[in-house]
Amino acid sequence: MTVLVLTLTLRQLLGQKRTLVLAGLGLLPLVAAIIFRVGDGGEEAAEFTAQFLLNGLIVNALLPLTALLLATAALGSEVEDGTIVYLLSKPVERWRIVAGKLLAAWGATAVIVLASAVVSGVVALAGEGDWRILGGFLVALAVGSMAYSSLFVLLSLVTSRALFVGLAYAFIWEAVITNFAPGVQRFSIREFTASVAEAAGDPSPWVFDADLGTTYSVILIIVVTTAAAGLAAWRLSRFELGEAP
Amino acid sequence: MSTAEGTGTEAAVEVLDVSRWYGNVVAVNGISFALEPGVTGLLGPNGAGKTTLLNMIAGFLKPSAGEVRVLGETAFGTPEIYERVALVPEREAVYEFLTGYQFVQLSARMHELPDPEAATIEALRRVEMTSAADRATGGYSKGMKQRVKIAAALVHDPEVLLLDEPFNGMDPRQRLQMMSLLGRMAEEGRTILFSSHILEEVERLGENVLVVVAGRLAASGDFRAIRKLMTDRPHTFTIRSSDNRELAKALMAEESVFGVELNDGTVVVRANELGAFASAAPRAAQTAGASLFEVRPEDESLESVFEYLVTR
Repeated sequence: MTVLVLTLTLRQLLGQKRTLVLAGLGLLPLVAAIIFRVGDGGEEAAEFTAQFLLNGLIVNALLPLTALLLATAALGSEVEDGTIVYLLSKPVERWRIVAGKLLAAWGATAVIVLASAVVSGVVALAGEGDWRILGGFLVALAVGSMAYSSLFVLLSLVTSRALFVGLAYAFIWEAVITNFAPGVQRFSIREFTASVAEAAGDPSPWVFDADLGTTYSVILIIVVTTAAAGLAAWRLSRFELGEAP
Repeated sequence: MSTAEGTGTEAAVEVLDVSRWYGNVVAVNGISFALEPGVTGLLGPNGAGKTTLLNMIAGFLKPSAGEVRVLGETAFGTPEIYERVALVPEREAVYEFLTGYQFVQLSARMHELPDPEAATIEALRRVEMTSAADRATGGYSKGMKQRVKIAAALVHDPEVLLLDEPFNGMDPRQRLQMMSLLGRMAEEGRTILFSSHILEEVERLGENVLVVVAGRLAASGDFRAIRKLMTDRPHTFTIRSSDNRELAKALMAEESVFGVELNDGTVVVRANELGAFASAAPRAAQTAGASLFEVRPEDESLESVFEYLVTR
């Protein structure tokens, strides 16, 4: 059943303009990498790739934006246009529907951000640097996109303004507030993702250094992913359809 | 159909003193009824609470008060009921990238039917959509979308079928075909409840009718009895004639007329019964020696008919 919902949702996502726009945005890091190589900048390739390309552009911007737009399209748009009734009117446990939606959102997000990271990373590092940092970020992007997707699928079930709330979380809370109040970094998926990238890539501290501990980040990614997915399944089982008068 | 309180055996659908409100707005207010196999029409003007009521019966909305039971189970929060219950929603939205066949087959597969392909073909045949089954639903007309939605709902052979404004967008031939399909399904022992704001649709299909106005159950029971109530209610007409004064006098003598008023070049007449007045008006004109230029019913909107049923 989950596979049915998964394939249906992937077809929905593939047909949407926002997916094409996101795929286009995924090429921006490649453009940055090409400019870096052509310009032969003073920075080391490994530092540029880790700090600016993979962490700065992809983890901090492309990942949350892609996860948000695809997760809200996966479930929120069905709620908006009313097609959710065709899933809810079936004798299917609600967690299976959420699992299918979540896996589709995660899969589509991971494909875009991983492809962007591989292509731009290869161009930036070719013949110059240590490949382990790219490998570390690929692992981190895969798990980070799971946590974001789970959180944003939940958001699309609890508010009709999921897009707005998600943008505020990713680009105000995580991007701005965590800079002014370092303590709140402990509640930021982007920081968890960076920490996993550091642990999996094992780079030199001057190449890339995350702020949070690995164990803490891994536990929090698991907690956020499972708790948000569980809450989304519970929310869908209590979900009410129908227009208010 | 019967009132919820009086049923000895368990009804397919039981609505027990159900209300639903959104903030301060009451959409459904203390409605009770029970449905047994057969076709029942849920009639009411737009915004009367029909969709809210259907969504509560379908288990998609939780009643704010009261209880909805379908096939013995509480409707809300019990996905198992969908093995035996189906809803055709009013909204036109379908998965537009799927073909009609794929859309119905998705429903069959989600029901985990033993032979989803055969069930899909049969459901499409029942709604006469076989020839268009390989086209994407995004290119369907409103009526075709409606029929493919009904096919998706029928695919698992439900005992209880709920349809929200099912004839919207259908041409007259499709309406007749769909009415006869629903009639046949009712004869097979299914419980069918469909909503409509069009009196004639309900008249042609539903022997039983529930009339909902402003969230309340205004009338319920045999359609003919309710139809009689609707036609026998007091009617108001505005008449223009060559001699309003003489005509008013003659009309006063008619048994079916209980009020006449001369009003700025017109005669406003209140009559007990539509049928009786139809023969009284020309008779009075003849007696008065007046020519009738215009006889205009004043309150024939469906809303005013419903309003009368609520306040009678």
